[in-house]
Amino acid sequence: MEEREIAETLERLAECVERGKADASSLHPVDLRGRDGAEELTRLLLEAGVPPARILDEGLIPGMGRIGEKFREKQVFVPDVLLAARAMHAAMNHLRPFFRSRAIVTRGTFIIGTVFGDLHDIGKKLVAMVVEGSGWDVVDLGVNVEPERFVAEVRSRPGAVVGLSALLTTTMPNMRTTVAVLKETTPCTPVIVGGAPVTPEFAATIGADAYGADPYAAVEFLHRVGGS
Amino acid sequence: MTSRQRLLCALERRVPDRLPVTTHHLMPSFLETLPGKPTPLEFFDRFGLDAVCWLNVNAPDPGCGQYFDPDHTPGEYEARRIVTECWRIEAEDVPDRWYRTVRYAIHTPRATLTTVLQSDAYTTWVAERLVKNKSDIDVIAEYMPPLVCDVEAVNRRAASFGERGIVRGTVPGFDVYGQPGCWQDAAVLVGIERLILSVYDDPDWVRRLLAVLEKRKRTWVSSLAGARYDLIELGGGDASSTVISPGIFEEFVAPYDASLIEEAHKAGMRVVYHICGGIMPLLDLLVAMKPDALETFTPSAMGGDADLGAAKKKIGGAVCMIGGFDQVHFFTGVDPERTRAEVRRCFEEAGEGGGYILAPSDHFFEAEIPLLEAYADEARACVYHPAGEG
Repeated sequence: MEEREIAETLERLAECVERGKADASSLHPVDLRGRDGAEELTRLLLEAGVPPARILDEGLIPGMGRIGEKFREKQVFVPDVLLAARAMHAAMNHLRPFFRSRAIVTRGTFIIGTVFGDLHDIGKKLVAMVVEGSGWDVVDLGVNVEPERFVAEVRSRPGAVVGLSALLTTTMPNMRTTVAVLKETTPCTPVIVGGAPVTPEFAATIGADAYGADPYAAVEFLHRVGGS
Repeated sequence: MTSRQRLLCALERRVPDRLPVTTHHLMPSFLETLPGKPTPLEFFDRFGLDAVCWLNVNAPDPGCGQYFDPDHTPGEYEARRIVTECWRIEAEDVPDRWYRTVRYAIHTPRATLTTVLQSDAYTTWVAERLVKNKSDIDVIAEYMPPLVCDVEAVNRRAASFGERGIVRGTVPGFDVYGQPGCWQDAAVLVGIERLILSVYDDPDWVRRLLAVLEKRKRTWVSSLAGARYDLIELGGGDASSTVISPGIFEEFVAPYDASLIEEAHKAGMRVVYHICGGIMPLLDLLVAMKPDALETFTPSAMGGDADLGAAKKKIGGAVCMIGGFDQVHFFTGVDPERTRAEVRRCFEEAGEGGGYILAPSDHFFEAEIPLLEAYADEARACVYHPAGEG
């Protein structure tokens, strides 16, 4: 594959991520039906010898960045980001082995979960997907996560940043508990919090390092505190 | 005006004597924290609010083998469950370290469907979705019993409630943790993320599921003729623009719920469409469904996007607006003057010309008594001038 073709394929990959075209069988978007998606294009690029880090930097990250910008500008909605994240994951399945072999060096590790007592997943998942698409290694602990589990994960991944999500006013106190436990046991761990009822004032009150209004605020925070 | 007259006046987009003020559902866990553990009506009386009587009563059809589930104790706002020999529901407590956990098994001649709910002192949530395989919806379609309203029971209650306030019902959802709107009900059964992705991957399956749910709701709505409900609730927050796009709303929410609204109007009912979460990009689509009222107008500080003033300008002539009050930030932890100022803000932005009912933008789990007093008192002071100026 010549350089021009590589660049074009990377741009197509970015478009597939941005528009949520996971693989050739994806019905969405209609105008890309039958064409290769993120999965096939990533495989093609790897087979052509394109370094995995370049695929990440020039295909996946720009794709997620563009959809993120549109989301922030309220030009697209949650389903569009979900589709983009799914396309990114289809590509990431091919790249993950290179993370493990360190052929790709991530910007850092982000541990995220919804605090105990709260089973809301979608907002937390969006943050996880966007952060991963920004070049971070993401450990998604899921929902209803007890403080001790966050602590255990942080201890096994020194330098990690933690994100806490809560959707209910009734579970916001559990966010306070989780931050307190994290700050007591691993005081240097940066913690960002978010979720519908959470405010910057609440984040400050409970001792969190930051509040994220949307997934991209989380990315900005991560790049500020720990990203390369 | 009586509370009922005041609320109905606003629902019909006319100008009442003063700002009608009420709440959404009152959580039993909250009422238990108040002195004397009041009932909802006692709560409304205590604070001088315009009352709502939530009432959901259905009647089994013995001719179709229907009977009340003897093992079901309805929760607050829940109707007694109706089952048949082909739709038996078993509940089993499951040991769990943190939460009350109950596994429900719905036995039908073809398959047993299961779901798991968990709850704490405040709320309940779904821990395991009922629809696991696509074919599960065929089982639901075949065996889920239709429901009809017990009109006589509604009317008896309405008569005893009198002018104290309005009687409000809810379009019934699925038998376990059901929700009023077709999309909202489907989201609970399938999981919202899976439902959204299915819209793109298998839209016909989503349409089939929505049609199954709509059919049952439509039967119930048709049975309302003669019922003295003042308001029927439909909708749900999973159809808000913080969860789905206007495109999905237009194709997968509006057609099913609009048809229920039309049916409700034929039965002589008013409908409030409940949409907690983002609402602003959906205003035109919502009004096109022709509900009589819209709620909850969740403010941005609570994760919504409501701009009451802009919404009033855009849709105030077509629909009654309910909600918009930020209960998280003005029912706890502030000076009563700030609560009063928030009431004034809502009134100034949405009250002009009537057609607005002040209410918290959904449930609240805690509130301080002086702030509730300030909320109600300030609203009562928001009077309309004789000429109908807000």
